[in-house]
Amino acid sequence: MREFQKLLQQDCLRDEPPFCASACPFNLDIRDFISKTQRGSFSTAFRLYQNTVGFPEIVAQICPAYCQNVCIRQERDESIALKKLEQASIAYTKNKRPNRYHLPKKRQKVAIIGAGLAGLGCALRLTARKYEVVIYEKTGQIGGGLKDLMTEEEYLPLIEEQFIHDKYQLYLNQRIETLDELEADAIFIATGQSGDHFGFENREGATEKKGVFFFGGQHPVEKLASGLSMAAAIEGYLKSDVMRDPVKPEPTRLKMDPESFPIQEPQINLTENAILTQEEAIAEAKRCLKCQCDACLRHCDLMKFYGKAPKRIEEEVEITIHPGTLDGDGTVATRLIATCNHCDVCKIVCPQGIDTGLFLLQSHRAMEEKGAMPWVFHEFWLRDMEFSNSEDAKIYSLAPGSTKANFMYVPGCRLGGSNPEYVKASYDYLLKEEKDTSLLLSCCGAPALWAGDIPLFDSVLADIKEAWQSFGQPQAIFACSTCQRIFKDHLPEIEGLSLYEFMDAKNFEPAGQVKEQLCVFDPCQAAGHAEMQKAVRNLAAKTGLIMEEKDDVIKCCGWGGQVQIANPRYFDGVVKSRSADSDLGFLTYCANCRDVFNADNKEAHHLLDLLFNLNIDEENKLKRRKTPGPALNRLHRRTLKRDLLEQFFGERWEMKKRNLKLYISDQLKKKLDKEMILPEDLEEVITQAENSGAKVVHSDGAFSAYLIIGQMTYWVKYRIKDDGFLLENAYCHRMSIGD
Amino acid sequence: MEKEKNNEELICFRCQIPLVLEKTFFNYLDHTFFTDIPTCPKCKQKYIPESLVKGRMAEVEKELEDK
Repeated sequence: MREFQKLLQQDCLRDEPPFCASACPFNLDIRDFISKTQRGSFSTAFRLYQNTVGFPEIVAQICPAYCQNVCIRQERDESIALKKLEQASIAYTKNKRPNRYHLPKKRQKVAIIGAGLAGLGCALRLTARKYEVVIYEKTGQIGGGLKDLMTEEEYLPLIEEQFIHDKYQLYLNQRIETLDELEADAIFIATGQSGDHFGFENREGATEKKGVFFFGGQHPVEKLASGLSMAAAIEGYLKSDVMRDPVKPEPTRLKMDPESFPIQEPQINLTENAILTQEEAIAEAKRCLKCQCDACLRHCDLMKFYGKAPKRIEEEVEITIHPGTLDGDGTVATRLIATCNHCDVCKIVCPQGIDTGLFLLQSHRAMEEKGAMPWVFHEFWLRDMEFSNSEDAKIYSLAPGSTKANFMYVPGCRLGGSNPEYVKASYDYLLKEEKDTSLLLSCCGAPALWAGDIPLFDSVLADIKEAWQSFGQPQAIFACSTCQRIFKDHLPEIEGLSLYEFMDAKNFEPAGQVKEQLCVFDPCQAAGHAEMQKAVRNLAAKTGLIMEEKDDVIKCCGWGGQVQIANPRYFDGVVKSRSADSDLGFLTYCANCRDVFNADNKEAHHLLDLLFNLNIDEENKLKRRKTPGPALNRLHRRTLKRDLLEQFFGERWEMKKRNLKLYISDQLKKKLDKEMILPEDLEEVITQAENSGAKVVHSDGAFSAYLIIGQMTYWVKYRIKDDGFLLENAYCHRMSIGD
Repeated sequence: MEKEKNNEELICFRCQIPLVLEKTFFNYLDHTFFTDIPTCPKCKQKYIPESLVKGRMAEVEKELEDK
């Protein structure tokens, strides 16, 4: 877990400076400057600029605008005209006098050789901090190389204005021959490339001689920046007697995709010399992206929902797993940990490939191991997995009449739960192609993995592996991309491919044609499986389907990680957000995507509907099919087992008989589905109540009783009716009733 | 937890006597709390109406999950 913290510190680019600020010799906080300009606060923008560059009105004229050369906007439209914005900040600021600092006078004296911009910049900072500063200039004027860029009449008053509060001593026409002739506590050699270097190598920063510092930079603004930063190094030396180079910003490691933002041409004439109007400046500032790596935040639903980037998530998860208080509260991220869809989007979009999802999966496991994850987040799904892997629904079998298999069909548990015909039709097809295709119908263990219950997950995997070995280690054919992912990551010895790649390779010809246009919705677990995605499109095209492609990275429909109970508001938001990706209905090849969308009234069809002609009317239109609720989903899995055994294996298998006959209104059925209450659990409540008499009688004669199943407490209000029971209401709670 | 405002008379099927409000403890995620719940004075059979389950109980459950 600590490794993730280290990884973020090393690799996460979130805190990297933007390209412009990194290229700026002054390291101007351009994001802040832009923010101020965007809201029309020119004077505060100017103050920031002035405090950073020292001589704002000079720099705004002569700066070569290094920032504009690296602005990422130029790859799409035009760089932000930052120089013009700086000029605008000057134009629209009334009081441009520098701030006055009331500090005690310092006793130390600093000698500066050279009155170019490096020397003047250093003097500006040190005099403001109340040091005594003396500048020796060998020529008869100040400004150094500035005279090649501006006239003396222009720049002298601008320099003078900045020294309005604090003065320095200036000796013109004073050539310094040796440093020994200077009486000073520190010396700054700011003589320029062609000036005297006093035997020091041409390297910016602290020299090998104590108290002596050397200028840097080529262009006058670089020299000015050098002088400003050297003042801090000199002050550091005067205070601590330690010679250090000035702090220089590291080059940025920021990576940005120019395709990730829209083209927005500037609304100003960039070639004109005129100062921008305030409106023009604000509009130009608003084009600025204020570059910051936000790839994960833009794409990951969880990060968007919580408004938290990986570093913040890591911190909150860490204190949740290891609370700092004795009573263990402050576990702020429990629900966040259980909200991850495990769709890999964070890792896919991160320019550094940082896998926050994996960190959350490991964190979930850590929480589960210490018993700190609320059981309710996963109990329903774990019981559902238990059902899929019970005698009620599971089939592990070689093909009828076979003793060994070359292939093993893994339809997954949810496909048949959605529609048993998907599994029957596809297995029928596979047997015709490869007659010894064995069948592994069960749950792959994903619910246990997502719940962090590793012992349970391992036991499911062991069961699968044993069956696979008994089949003769065949190659797997997956209809479910989640199963395929689980096998790839945790049972790598089992090689396999998707059903769709298999069918495409066998040149499958669909049973019918459709007259439809749908948007392809690739399930998140198919991300990175280009061959599977291609095969799906090839197969769908054969049915006559017109396909639209989504203009986005592959994202989860909401189902991944089974977060619905842990965070229903998040789940609903994700489903709605994905549904809005296209006005068309979706074509998908994951039963969960299909069911999640249809449950939310978004049309979605499974590829198998098209390929096996399962829901197509006489006019070649796809029929809408409702999403089966939890109860029907289970019934589907039971009937699937019965039908498969009968159809393909010639076995007659009786579905487990229901204990009681229940009468449930359609309205109550809907409520039970919504609240994920299974009628078979309610049967148990009634059975127990009727056997023990532990029930209460309402004034209208109805009974109420309760029973704890798993850890959930179920209540039923019912009446005896004919040969069964009429259910009037049912509900459940997570708290348990104590003594 | 708020007091149950249910005036309906409930009878314990086994004991054939009316339920009365009685202090009842609840447990969830290692926390314990109590409220008055209709209870059979003799066999302690309980009844919790849906309004309480969906109201205050659900709120407390959520708070504890986020604690």
